[in-house]
Amino acid sequence: MTDFDAIVIGSGVSGGWAAKELTEKGLKVLMLDRGRMVEHKKDYITEGHGPWKLAYRGTLPPAEVARDHFLGKWGGAASTDRTHFYNNDRLNPFDYENSKPFRWVRPNQVGGKSLIWSRVTLRWSQLNFDSNKQDGHGSPWPIGYDDIAPWYSYVEKYAGIAGQKEGLFQLPDGEFQPPHPMNVAEEWVKERLEKAMPGRKLIHTRCANMTEDKPEQGRSKCQKRDQCARGCSFGAYFSTQAVTLPAARKTGNLTLLSDKVVTNLEYDGKTRRVTGVRVVDANTQEAHTYTGRIVFLCASAMASTQILLNSRLPNSGLSVFNSSGVLGRYIMDHVMRTNVWGTVPDGALDPLVQFGRRPTGVYIPRFRNLQGQDEGVDFVRGYAFQGAAGRAIATPGGFGVALKQGMRRYAPWRIGFNAFAECLPYKDNSLTLNPARLDRFGVPLLVFNVTFKDNETRMMNDAQRQGETMLRAAGLVSVGSGQEEHVPGDAIHEMGGACMGDDPTSSVVNRWSQAHDAPNLFVTDGSQMASTNCVNPSLTFMALTARACDHAVKLVQAGAI
Amino acid sequence: MSFDRRDMLMGVGAIFGAALAAPLQKALAAEAVATVVPGYIASRTIFTAAQRSDVAAISERIIPTTDTPGAIAAGVPGFIEMMLADWYEAGDRDEFLTGLTVIDGFCTGQHVKSFAALAPAEQDAVLTCAMNGMMPGLATGFFEHCRQMVILGYYTSEIGCRQERIYLPLPGRYDGHYPYPGKVFSS
Repeated sequence: MTDFDAIVIGSGVSGGWAAKELTEKGLKVLMLDRGRMVEHKKDYITEGHGPWKLAYRGTLPPAEVARDHFLGKWGGAASTDRTHFYNNDRLNPFDYENSKPFRWVRPNQVGGKSLIWSRVTLRWSQLNFDSNKQDGHGSPWPIGYDDIAPWYSYVEKYAGIAGQKEGLFQLPDGEFQPPHPMNVAEEWVKERLEKAMPGRKLIHTRCANMTEDKPEQGRSKCQKRDQCARGCSFGAYFSTQAVTLPAARKTGNLTLLSDKVVTNLEYDGKTRRVTGVRVVDANTQEAHTYTGRIVFLCASAMASTQILLNSRLPNSGLSVFNSSGVLGRYIMDHVMRTNVWGTVPDGALDPLVQFGRRPTGVYIPRFRNLQGQDEGVDFVRGYAFQGAAGRAIATPGGFGVALKQGMRRYAPWRIGFNAFAECLPYKDNSLTLNPARLDRFGVPLLVFNVTFKDNETRMMNDAQRQGETMLRAAGLVSVGSGQEEHVPGDAIHEMGGACMGDDPTSSVVNRWSQAHDAPNLFVTDGSQMASTNCVNPSLTFMALTARACDHAVKLVQAGAI
Repeated sequence: MSFDRRDMLMGVGAIFGAALAAPLQKALAAEAVATVVPGYIASRTIFTAAQRSDVAAISERIIPTTDTPGAIAAGVPGFIEMMLADWYEAGDRDEFLTGLTVIDGFCTGQHVKSFAALAPAEQDAVLTCAMNGMMPGLATGFFEHCRQMVILGYYTSEIGCRQERIYLPLPGRYDGHYPYPGKVFSS
């Protein structure tokens, strides 16, 4: 007998879905999270606060950022409206091989990054599932669009996704609530861009901020505060707290334990089963092993990989889950530090401003290498742009009455975009453990050896050129662009480490997210990704998790695992 | 960082006088938290009484009272002292305090009065001098630094958000074609 039918490790986007699906299918589930408990509504301590009610009026002292949030700052941890939702980086160290930096931005609570994510929810297309096979990078995907499409629909309908159908094959339509409207400047750019450069599209960003109520879930549509990362008592955006956790709790089948750091999985080599999940309590340091018939590993791509790497044969440094030799390999993140911007000319739209704060923006879907390799393009795969138009408040110089009056006006409409590019799966972009350095829970530190390479650099350079070209073609003025240092981890879209594939000698999990080395183990977060595409990944984690749960429960019911 | 909440309130009253303490007291009373959290009121004294008066006067000249309240009513001087005490690193804090000393020396030399004791027109002349880099010994950038602190403090204050700007805690809708209402929306 096991303690539970299933143990879900992690409670973010993926873990929350696993808990919901498994409990709704009747399994008794234990969900574990390394972070502290955050209850919906009650623990959103900065929600609704005006700037004057935020500590330091919103920005953490630089000394504190440097001490405790030197990584989280890349994901917003320096904003005091949300600092409490981030990891203390000082207390949770990791190593770099050859000084290759990685920005591992981690949450610190039940709900994980689902509370603080950017909520962009885009589908993969068949093009993306074919890419590894076609250009020979990474492990070929064993599934295609048709395998995941019904699961995209399933999670979209429940989560509530706002968007507009566009009929683009490279960015399939989903189950949409109405989109968040564009503003006058975005419409202005859209009309001119699409006319000037046929094939280029400016569309509404598809996002997990509802534009219609879901009373059956006790959730209301977005109130346009744009303060999502503080938590939303309306439940207007998808988070574990608002969506999957209440559903799982409603079944009566869920046990949720916070502050439980999973150190490793226990494994029986004879039966090839995971037999236990060992945790250390984050507060008491007490160790305990929980048992479950099946285990869903959803601790986040990097943390899940670390747990797998640290699940070792007795007296050995070798992971029991690495018969393929690729555990910890093909670590990826989107490349994203390329920006372009421009201004609407002649004050054409100056009489109009924005009322309300929209929680999303606009999107230029991928246009490179859609039908095989484009001529004259010096990289494989592609990138997309995320952006928005808006008006800054005027900032005149001087002081006194003139300054005060001047600051009652807006600057002209500007639009800005940020490119998100696919990162190829490279076998030597890897995670290992450093047995010589243990963290405060006794786990060997994760060692990052991840760099972007030529294909990523070329894509960023092309994105910068194309971005400027598009904005000029649309008639914008004062067009500019720039790139900052591209550091992996920065996009907080880290993926890979336990990649999916049919071949157990070159992949860690199979087409059902099920470990080749342990049929009762499912790895359904970003670590299973065999490539990254260029779209934000969370929706795909949700769909793959729901799909894996369905399959796992069928296997359990058939007595196969 | 720990200090007694009541002591701080009394201290603030003593430091700024009742007029300034009132909005601060009101803001604090509205706070539901039982213990003082860093980032709202200076955890220790940074200014001398004279510097405190000067900072208040400088703030008010930068964002004066017009048809809406000015920097003093919005609590900007207290905000600046809090930031210097608890947000700034030592080097930047010293630079700021040095700047205040230079301005004080200038005013005393020119007028035999502190900045705070000058008439508004004289104060504006001193600030213009500082702004244009014409004040001997004053670090380049001090005025702009000071100006940005006042702007930040004012427009993130409750008065700045609710009275000078339009504050929408719960907009409920988004309209990207909204006619400019003669003011700007706060965050």
